[in-house]
Amino acid sequence: MRNILVTGGSRGIGLAIARRLAASGDYNVVAVARRESGELAAAIREAQRCLHFRACDLAATDAIPAFAKSVRDKFGAIYGLVNNAGIGTDGLLATMSNSQIEALIRLNVLSPIILTKYVARHMMADGVGRIVNISSIVASTGYSGLSVYAASKAAVTGFTRSLAREVGKVGITVNAIAPGFIDTELTSSLDDQGRRRITGRSALRRLPEADDVASMVEYLLGEGGRNITGTVLTVDAGNTA
Amino acid sequence: MSVKSKIFSAMKQIAEEQKVALPPLEDDLPLNDTGFDSLALAILVARLEDELGIDPFTVAEDAAFPSTLGEFVRAYENVPA
Ligand SMILES: NC(=O)c1ccc[n+]([C@@H]2O[C@H](COP(=O)([O-])OP(=O)(O)OC[C@H]3O[C@@H](n4cnc5c(N)ncnc54)[C@H](OP(=O)(O)O)[C@@H]3O)[C@@H](O)[C@H]2O)c1
Repeated sequence: MRNILVTGGSRGIGLAIARRLAASGDYNVVAVARRESGELAAAIREAQRCLHFRACDLAATDAIPAFAKSVRDKFGAIYGLVNNAGIGTDGLLATMSNSQIEALIRLNVLSPIILTKYVARHMMADGVGRIVNISSIVASTGYSGLSVYAASKAAVTGFTRSLAREVGKVGITVNAIAPGFIDTELTSSLDDQGRRRITGRSALRRLPEADDVASMVEYLLGEGGRNITGTVLTVDAGNTA
Repeated sequence: MSVKSKIFSAMKQIAEEQKVALPPLEDDLPLNDTGFDSLALAILVARLEDELGIDPFTVAEDAAFPSTLGEFVRAYENVPA
């Protein structure tokens, strides 16, 4: 079974991805987060040895090389990497603290780039691999209060396109998914009125769900994704249509 | 097998996979003249990390990539495994 590393796999979108991939029977999934949530522990029990948890604070980028190695040593070659862990600190730029800005860019940009480096080089040596980066529609639209977050998500799409060019000839695909607003802990600060406004602006008059993103990840990792690379796939119930 | 011969055999294998004609491997051969492009070199470093358990180029802070084959081999020989 192919090993898939899913960062931020303890809740929200990452947990939905980990669950779906483990349930498919095709993958052995390693979910990464700082702590194992109750939900993830339950999913691991249910998945019967296809789903595992590994603790890692990805913001501590110096520890990433050793972490990537430990996962390989334990589980073997990594076929798929899903860079999903992220934070969504909001606030007006003018009043955001510099340390908040740095923390956001660190976890959302620096961490996935460095983790990808240490995973992709072995994919290169193996001549096979799939990388999926979770961006956001905010990378290409605009939302007041999310300028730094949006910058981090736009960085992810730029990274995706150029890396796809770099590693394409050794058989690795690299894509990004841009979800619209999804109800998770990350978005819990948005009130009902804001939620209704986003729903009303979406073509399908509803919000996408975490599992919709998980389906897209499953597609990109599977046979259907073999000729898709360097692109950004939007999952937003038509919010940006 | 010595570190050097492990490196040479990894290079020969990658050359075969990437359809590169390797010149005779000597210490003063510039890496640029091996026929390996940057991607092939990256694959080499990754394979060697698997085989030898070390990657001398990301450990070092001032990681200047070597310019000859001899320097490349020494970078591996000098790392305490
Ligand atoms: N929700 C949305 O509307 C939406 C829309 C577009 C894009 N996205 C993107 O989708 C991704 C997942 O978002 P989500 O809504 O599912 O968020 P979430 O529910 O807050 O989950 C975030 C995940 O990341 C992990 N994480 C946070 N900090 C970490 C660290 N320092 N090291 C390792 N793991 C860490 C968390 O686990 P721990 O806290 O235990 O570490 C958790 O598993 C993010 O990249 C986000 O930007 C979300």
